Amino acid sequence: MGRLRRSRVHKGIKDVSKKYRLRRRTKDLDQIHNDLGTENQETPQLPLDEDLPGLGQFYCTECSKYYTDQNSLDSHKVSKVHKRRLGQLQEYAEAMAQDASIQNGMDEEGLSGSSKSSLLALTRKNNSKNKA
Amino acid sequence: MRLEKCYFCSSTVYPGHGTMFVRNDSKMFRFCRSKCSKNFKMKRNPRKLGWTKAFRKAAGKEMAVDSTFEFEKRRNVPVRYNRELVSKTVQSMKRISEIKARRERAFFQQRMASKPEQEREQNIKEIEKNLHILSTPATRAKVEEERVKIVSRNTESSKN
Repeated sequence: MGRLRRSRVHKGIKDVSKKYRLRRRTKDLDQIHNDLGTENQETPQLPLDEDLPGLGQFYCTECSKYYTDQNSLDSHKVSKVHKRRLGQLQEYAEAMAQDASIQNGMDEEGLSGSSKSSLLALTRKNNSKNKA
Repeated sequence: MRLEKCYFCSSTVYPGHGTMFVRNDSKMFRFCRSKCSKNFKMKRNPRKLGWTKAFRKAAGKEMAVDSTFEFEKRRNVPVRYNRELVSKTVQSMKRISEIKARRERAFFQQRMASKPEQEREQNIKEIEKNLHILSTPATRAKVEEERVKIVSRNTESSKN
């Protein structure tokens, strides 16, 4: 009889399993979204922190990441990683806006008004389509 | 007894089930099972996964706003026990779930109402694309006729 055990599984990949540990958890999109709202109004002097890279002076708010100097921060800001994050943040903001409009019983065709029901909205939409 | 909602898939979390994660800004996240908590740890977006309630509501697959949802809410003020009130509540719960089921059914039917039309248009598109497989001139003429019909209907509706 040969071996019956599965040969390789992904259990041993250390960097992947460490990345998803909760103690290493990075900021979520909603937290960053809030940060952006508060920090865009004025750009305060970042506090000096010896434990952070670059004394905590070169911070990318969108990616919640510290850099060692202005050069590396600048090169990060034109990088693909940063742009991807910008896209995610925009998507998040749009999703929030959509949720808010759903809660207000509004939809894109302006069929809102007194009825706060998605069933009524859908029915009206279908009816208007049939008439047309 | 408090029944929580799963942060990820919005299913009900009964006491003694699931896990809770408290973020360092003290926001609480409850999960119904390890599937949901793992997906959360991987920073997946519940709106993008087809099996979550968030997706189904955002994509218009289910009723998102309805007055029947108003009854299911987190209430932080305890209600004093009252026999009459309990019996009334139990009665109305049955009635409300009936109404909700009826509305959901109606929503589904409304959503599916435009389906045959859509499928028809799709089929014609596919046939048009692969017209060279259909050999006889008669079939080609028939397809062309259908296409003209649909185009004229669409232009009419857009005019209106």
